[in-house]
Amino acid sequence: MPTEPCLELGSVSADERRALYRLVLLQRLFEERALALYRQGRIAGSFYDGRGQEAVAAGAGLALHAEDVVCPLNRELATHFAKGVPVADAFRNFLGRGDSPTRGRDGNLHFGVPALGVFPLVSMLGDLVPVTVGAALAFKRRDEPRVALTFVGEGAFSVGDTHEGLNLAGVWQVPAVFVIQRNQYSYSTPIAQQMVNTTIAERLFGGWSILCETIDGTDAIATFDAVRTAVERARAGLGPQAVEAVTLRIHGHAAHDDGGYVPDELRRVFEERDPVERLAARLALDGLSEDELAGLSADAAAEIADGLAVAEASPAPDPATLEDGVWAAPVGSGDPTNVQDFAHTDKEG
Amino acid sequence: MDRGHLANTDEGRTPAGEITYLEAITAALRDALREDERVFLLGEDIGSFGGAFGATKGLLEEFGEHRVLDTPISEEGFVGAAIGAAWMGDRPVVELQFADFVTTPFDQIVTVAAKTHWRSGQAIPLVIRMPSGGGVRGGPFHAGSPEGWFVGQPGLKVVCPGSVEDAYGLTRAAIDDPDPVLVFEHKALYRRLKAPPPALGHRTPIGRARIVREGADATIVTYGSGVTTATGAVERLGVDVEIVDLRTVWPLDRATVLESIAKTSRLLVLQEAARSTGAAGLVLSLVAQKAFEHLDAPPALHAPPDTPVPFAPELEDAFMPSVDSTAQALERLLAY
Repeated sequence: MPTEPCLELGSVSADERRALYRLVLLQRLFEERALALYRQGRIAGSFYDGRGQEAVAAGAGLALHAEDVVCPLNRELATHFAKGVPVADAFRNFLGRGDSPTRGRDGNLHFGVPALGVFPLVSMLGDLVPVTVGAALAFKRRDEPRVALTFVGEGAFSVGDTHEGLNLAGVWQVPAVFVIQRNQYSYSTPIAQQMVNTTIAERLFGGWSILCETIDGTDAIATFDAVRTAVERARAGLGPQAVEAVTLRIHGHAAHDDGGYVPDELRRVFEERDPVERLAARLALDGLSEDELAGLSADAAAEIADGLAVAEASPAPDPATLEDGVWAAPVGSGDPTNVQDFAHTDKEG
Repeated sequence: MDRGHLANTDEGRTPAGEITYLEAITAALRDALREDERVFLLGEDIGSFGGAFGATKGLLEEFGEHRVLDTPISEEGFVGAAIGAAWMGDRPVVELQFADFVTTPFDQIVTVAAKTHWRSGQAIPLVIRMPSGGGVRGGPFHAGSPEGWFVGQPGLKVVCPGSVEDAYGLTRAAIDDPDPVLVFEHKALYRRLKAPPPALGHRTPIGRARIVREGADATIVTYGSGVTTATGAVERLGVDVEIVDLRTVWPLDRATVLESIAKTSRLLVLQEAARSTGAAGLVLSLVAQKAFEHLDAPPALHAPPDTPVPFAPELEDAFMPSVDSTAQALERLLAY
């Protein structure tokens, strides 16, 4: 069966379509390469990817302006790239290098780049919903036309922080945007075991009067258009907004998980709706030749290869730096009577 | 969360020219709000009601609702939101109605606030103020001293003012500080402690203990309400004992503790937190490792038993360290 192209939306320009294609390709190619490195033992720890969800990460990321801020989660590598995070920096973090965004203190997608408005994710689901609302509160208090965005999986709808954050967003009417990653499974638990009313858009509007459009999250053009609309409504002072993007997490929760609990027929439906192929099909209908599409793929592959080469040449972290940066202002820093220097040069005590 | 009946701890009129510990905190908040546009307050019932203990009385009227925000009853939510605002460069000052309620935003504090700078270089200049401590018949959920949960947590600073001057100075220093700072105010001191007002702009440096009184024969290391209790015990016995007010319980001012032990050779740690939690273990461990040769007696600990704080007056009085019980502990130490 031929791949169904992304929707034809006149509101999404040719340049924007190419930008989206670059982003979904970067996430796809990066994650394929990184998964291979993980299986080779060259990436330590655990490995998560967002296969099948690249269009959501790309569409939401591209909808943000430079001055907007975002709290991405584990499936949103393309959002980092949309905000300007270099491919090399992402690889550095997966490889645990000393000059990675976390300087080796955290791995995989557990990083942020504050200078680019990207907050480092934490593993506890729901925590970043209130944090996003607080950033949006700062924009509202200061009357700045900026937006804060985060992603929320359906699993996080079982977490208290999510509800408290959404409630605060509604009460305070702040410029926050919530992109719901409805990827069907929270680790191995299907959505019907997470909640009674599985119509999340209905809950968002019924619970907190937050408008929420449900869209096909395998369609980068539709996702970008919907999130951009939400972002601009928030920026215009219309309060918190949401978009529910329906996808399937094609891989398991992490690389150790084969996702065998996903029914074959469901998996087949989404394998035929591959976000990268759907956007390529739309670009072909737009008039791009096979050669041009191949060229865009080659450009993205080169960007990945170059970034990996830079990251692999980066230094390992120096164990002597382990205690650096625990505090922004260590007690006694810059003071000759530094209390931490008294009578003990060892680490215990 | 309930509130209100514990607010009335006033024990008398404040003499002319003096302010209470609580008024010092209000003054610190007011001065910080006046001097720095980035500062704003948020918490439950802190606006027109002025807070459960009255710490924010009059501030909504002076600064408006963009600087003094009443929140829904959702500590995870508004502590998380304060972190987000701090990320954007604001200087949020959160009030928790009681320190016991810090259980609910614990995750936001230790997961997000404490670890973000180390992981990303992004400072989180967040202050969380909370009334702690017993002696007010508050029971298991309104009289706890949970500061110990945060002692040893990398990335946090934990301060416990024990004087009017430090109530002002530590609050100001916490608001200036680029790191998350937890301020455990002692609710029994709010209206009990009175002193001349600190100078406008006074700062108590975070991470610095204070020698409350000098002495030669033993050292009491304490903080918060323990400062008043220790002073009462030393005066009752008429002994030559040094009192160290830690003021910051994390990270610890190890130098001041060790210098005092080198001088006095005897240590009594006094705290209102249950004996197996809090800063006491850290102080005892430090002295055992670094001042062993200086000691003339086993280091002593005077602290409540390992129970929650009880309600009934007979039980709470037995639980809390008093001037009497502290004097007895001190006598035992001096007699060793």
